[in-house]
Amino acid sequence: MTDELRVSADRRGPTGAILYTKGYINNVGGEEIANRAYELMDDGVRSLLLNLRETKIVNSIGISILIEIIEKMIDKGGKIGFCCLTPVIHKTFQIMGLANYASIFTDEETALREMGL
Amino acid sequence: MNATAERQMELTLPMVPDIEIAAARAAGNLARELGMASESIDEMAHAMIEACINAREHSGSEDRRIYVRITGTSLGEGNSRIDIWISDHGKGFDPSAARSKRQARNAVHKRGWGLSIIEAHMDEVAITSDAGGTTIHMVKYGKRSES
Repeated sequence: MTDELRVSADRRGPTGAILYTKGYINNVGGEEIANRAYELMDDGVRSLLLNLRETKIVNSIGISILIEIIEKMIDKGGKIGFCCLTPVIHKTFQIMGLANYASIFTDEETALREMGL
Repeated sequence: MNATAERQMELTLPMVPDIEIAAARAAGNLARELGMASESIDEMAHAMIEACINAREHSGSEDRRIYVRITGTSLGEGNSRIDIWISDHGKGFDPSAARSKRQARNAVHKRGWGLSIIEAHMDEVAITSDAGGTTIHMVKYGKRSES
């Protein structure tokens, strides 16, 4: 019934990476992103960009998992950014306070430049 | 202004994972028929998703059903209105207590944001809840999409 979330990773040097998501970020999708993000963190990634260009729907449970990823990255001294959000997903991130703890960029090019990836 | 309710839909949905997407798609299709702009449809979909998740996760209903009613009304001059009622037969909750709890927050909290998201994305929200269940009535106004 739903577009199951797919995640792909692109390493950018020893400490950077981009995660591309496609589909609905719900509890299952959020866990999938978290698993990939934690693998990257364990492998030394400290600058992680999540490109949500192909995600059109999120829910509050999925976002709560994204917040957990941000907290873990901050604990490790790293940073997380998001780019290519739909206006509604951007608004939802702001409502939940996620925008206070991670950078949000309009496009990938800007994100890569600002995050030094 | 001549208001005519021209679209109506009722759904009874099982409380299974991701059923919220079915409800949101149904409302989206109806809104598109009325020519509502895609960003307004998107906001409405996210609000419906949260309302259905609240019913599924928190209602404690024994029949494990979500009852959805959607009406679409053309208001003339390219304006439209979508009314959505999402109901459950669960144990109910105190909306004002939920709002007070939310306003006491001063840091990032991971859960309990559903009502905030619903209210931010919809134009009108009214909740009636008692020991027999909960109904959330949401309204979205839209202008006809340019495309």
